[in-house]
Amino acid sequence: MSPTDFSFEPAYIVVAVAAAAAYAWAARSDRPSRLRVASFAIGAFLVAAALNSPLETIAAKRLLLVHLLQNALVADIAPALVLLGLTPAMKAWLTRHGASRIRARWAILAWLAAWYGTHLAGFYNWALDTGWGLNIEHGLLIAGGLLFWWPLVAGRLPAPAALAYLGAAFVASSFLGLAFIFSEHPFYSFYEHAPRLWGFSAIRDQNLGGIAMNGEQTLVFLVAIGWYVSRLLAEESAQER
Amino acid sequence: MLPVALAVVAALLFAQGMVRLRQRGRADIAGWDRAALFGLGLAVTVAALVGPLDRLAETKYLSVHMLQHVLIGDLAPALMIVAVRGPLLVFLLPAQVLAPLARSMRLRAVLSTVLQPRVAFGIWAANLAIWHVPYLYDLALRHDALHYFEHVCWVVAGLIVWTLLIDPGSHRRLTVGGRIALAAAMFAAGQVLTDVLVFSLHPLYPAYPGRIDQQLAGIAMMAEQLVTLGTLAFVLLRPRMRAARLVHA
Repeated sequence: MSPTDFSFEPAYIVVAVAAAAAYAWAARSDRPSRLRVASFAIGAFLVAAALNSPLETIAAKRLLLVHLLQNALVADIAPALVLLGLTPAMKAWLTRHGASRIRARWAILAWLAAWYGTHLAGFYNWALDTGWGLNIEHGLLIAGGLLFWWPLVAGRLPAPAALAYLGAAFVASSFLGLAFIFSEHPFYSFYEHAPRLWGFSAIRDQNLGGIAMNGEQTLVFLVAIGWYVSRLLAEESAQER
Repeated sequence: MLPVALAVVAALLFAQGMVRLRQRGRADIAGWDRAALFGLGLAVTVAALVGPLDRLAETKYLSVHMLQHVLIGDLAPALMIVAVRGPLLVFLLPAQVLAPLARSMRLRAVLSTVLQPRVAFGIWAANLAIWHVPYLYDLALRHDALHYFEHVCWVVAGLIVWTLLIDPGSHRRLTVGGRIALAAAMFAAGQVLTDVLVFSLHPLYPAYPGRIDQQLAGIAMMAEQLVTLGTLAFVLLRPRMRAARLVHA
């Protein structure tokens, strides 16, 4: 199979289309701003496109680097964008229908469990070997990402608590990327035997994957921390007035 | 031996300030915990600049060199400034020395300029960036005088930003949010350097050929910043988190 061929996880096309339909339906009574629509659309597109494109072919057949980048997209960026696209009324509806039970301390643990659990060698090799297991892997990562970002996007955490939440998540999640960066042996037998691409050895591929993962997380978390720091400053200046 | 001599002078100044305050019956603000913190700060500085750590830093490992820099430029200043916060800060210098210094308009102008948050952060970030330019790094390794100057720059830049972060004299140049913002900015700037060191696939400094060593240097910097700035953020945010929880309840 050529690396430029398309591969599909059709379940996530269905999920993205269903989410978009639900969003459009909810938007009839509560019109979101263009920015929110764009955020939601990009988030849903990232899920569908990352898992149904040549990216999926390379991730599932050739390079761990691309697989890790794909995971970072669907676990970190896409869920945050999807949730940021929701209007207050949509969030209130979700809160009334079960999301109020999501506690920050459990959400962060669930996200970390998904993050580390799906990257365990046994699970990862199994998902790659079976192919359909990748659906489960990506489902866990998307669900973990949605759970993680919900307390923040729903406004459940005041700025100081949000900063502590983000700081703890940043530190706790960084070890996985670092393990990939510093490793001297490939973690996943699947990629050891996979046909190589772009001249990367299995170990260089893994090191670069860790770099991509850590770089993405650093960027996402620093942006989020910066946002809450600016909110903290705004709250203080409002109090002074 | 210069670092040891300076550490002895600093220890003597701290001791006389502490004794004077205790003689005035203010042992509550000049307790042994302060002495322990100040002593720890001095010990960290001396241990980083003298002995095996210094030898390894200069001759073998970039990671140890990075650790040395963050110890003298971050952890040690933070510990010492925490130790002298409050009236002890004023008692650190004997009255005969402090009075003319306090009257010096030029000194006051310099201090009030460098202690402006944007200026202080600019100095700190510029110091971080400049001394990690491979050419300068290499040059400092080959010339002792420049190397000493580099270390002085680390200590001074660290003292400036940590003075703002801890606010030992209660000058309130920054609100709590402002201090968190400064800490976040320092972490973000440090993270840029960390990423360059960790993500670079080739050694950047001719004197240190090991790639893993270089990556460890980046991690050393990130870990130290997480400990120092993370502790500060936790201490500053904790009362607000409690207050928010009470309001929520």
